[in-house]
Amino acid sequence: MKPANLVMKRVLRGGSAAIVAMIIGGASLSFAQESVAVRAAIVTGGLPVDDPNAAAWSTAAPATFPMSPQVHWPNRIQEVTVQDVIVRAMHDGKQVVFLLEYRDPTQDPDDGAALEFMVGDKKAHFAHGQPMLQVEGGPVNIWFWKHKTDQAVDMTAKGFGTLKPQEHQDVKAKGAYANGTWKIVFTRNLSTGHPDEDVQITPGNFINVAFAVWDGRKDGAGELVEKGSQKAVSSWWYFRADAPPDYSGYMYAAIAVTLALGFQFVLIRKLKKGQ
Amino acid sequence: MGALGKPIILMVAMYVFLKFVLPNIPGSAPLPASLIVLYLLLTSAGIVIFETVSKESKDAFWGPMQRFLTGENIGGMQAIRYGVFILFPLLVGWQTYGSTAASDVPPSESRTIHPAPPGEYTGLSNPVQKTPENIMQGKGFYAAFCSPCHGANFDGKGPAARGFNPPPANFADPTTIAMLQESYLFWRIKKGGVGLPIEGAPWKSAMPRWEVELPDEWIWKIILGEYDGAHQSPRTWE
Repeated sequence: MKPANLVMKRVLRGGSAAIVAMIIGGASLSFAQESVAVRAAIVTGGLPVDDPNAAAWSTAAPATFPMSPQVHWPNRIQEVTVQDVIVRAMHDGKQVVFLLEYRDPTQDPDDGAALEFMVGDKKAHFAHGQPMLQVEGGPVNIWFWKHKTDQAVDMTAKGFGTLKPQEHQDVKAKGAYANGTWKIVFTRNLSTGHPDEDVQITPGNFINVAFAVWDGRKDGAGELVEKGSQKAVSSWWYFRADAPPDYSGYMYAAIAVTLALGFQFVLIRKLKKGQ
Repeated sequence: MGALGKPIILMVAMYVFLKFVLPNIPGSAPLPASLIVLYLLLTSAGIVIFETVSKESKDAFWGPMQRFLTGENIGGMQAIRYGVFILFPLLVGWQTYGSTAASDVPPSESRTIHPAPPGEYTGLSNPVQKTPENIMQGKGFYAAFCSPCHGANFDGKGPAARGFNPPPANFADPTTIAMLQESYLFWRIKKGGVGLPIEGAPWKSAMPRWEVELPDEWIWKIILGEYDGAHQSPRTWE
């Protein structure tokens, strides 16, 4: 009887540990906070590079982000045209494409839009990587498109007034305007050879992204209303390029099931022998 | 099953008490799942100790469990026994899959809303007299500099607020400026979002660093106007 009791105790100990793990695991899942993110699914057979109106975009899940006037730093602006941006993305393991879409009643030469990313491991303030007083921040990588040139400029900033085009231009962009809506496609390789100034996109990892838009309309005096730091901005949100499907979870589950079956078998055998 | 019945009833009763009764006692709050598990473990440990003090009680306690597992003379329980043998490995496999699968949710961010201010910004008193004129002037500055985000009604719902995450503070909410001292507001207005410590996630805050643009006296007046307009009083040391 005694060895059987010992075995029973061990079983109970193991079993309660398993139950604890299950409950705690379940609890931590339900506490996880959902944030808004852009997801880039993996696409085989060609990305809609350079084509804002490609049919393929209808398969990409849209994410909508609210915009605010840039008020953090002078010169600020109190009111902006664009209230939301709709963002879609996809990648093929080598390149990533973003589609930025927003309502703008007028098509102007000075219309512009930008994506912003944190670069490296250090956090960067969403306003151009503005220096923070108690935290050492990193730079931001800005992909800036302007209607006038219909091209992207790959830029770096670390605080207002430090924005400059990079030596290596890695980003392409193309815009299309129709029915009061701008659609702009940005394309870049997932990784570049310049990790100090370019965001490096590793499939499976969430990275920070923010958006900015300039409506290039002019006021009664012929002056641009939105220009430079006077623009519509978003806060930091998340972007993730999906990782290739990973089936290792099924393998681990199969191993666990086998171990549990073996454990049961040994246990029953020992109990039966003990009696 | 006599020796097992009581412990099972006790465990169930304990769970029901912790989960559903305790949170409803005035002054209490729902317990986190991990704490409930801990209490249940303590309860079961107590039961095991109690049931194994004598040889008789020990046999009465372990006996039914052993018989269930070995399947000796359990009659109709046999089906349940096989069910347990099938379900347990499946449960283990499911749990393993869940814990190894890559998370599909962005990293959760805990942000301290009111982090501790630097030492030099604790206990400062407002050097500006709380007169109707100064309050009026403060409200004027507030309207010009703060209301685009924090709102003309001091509710954090200004026209420029919609895109910002975290959202601008709602001063009418009793858990914001009513919980803070004037000294704390002076720090937050002067240094802005970029002045927050790391636990305040400064990289996300749109709050301007007003020391660059406004004299200290204006900031103190804004604080007077803010409390008055939001119908709140600063926290003081009793």
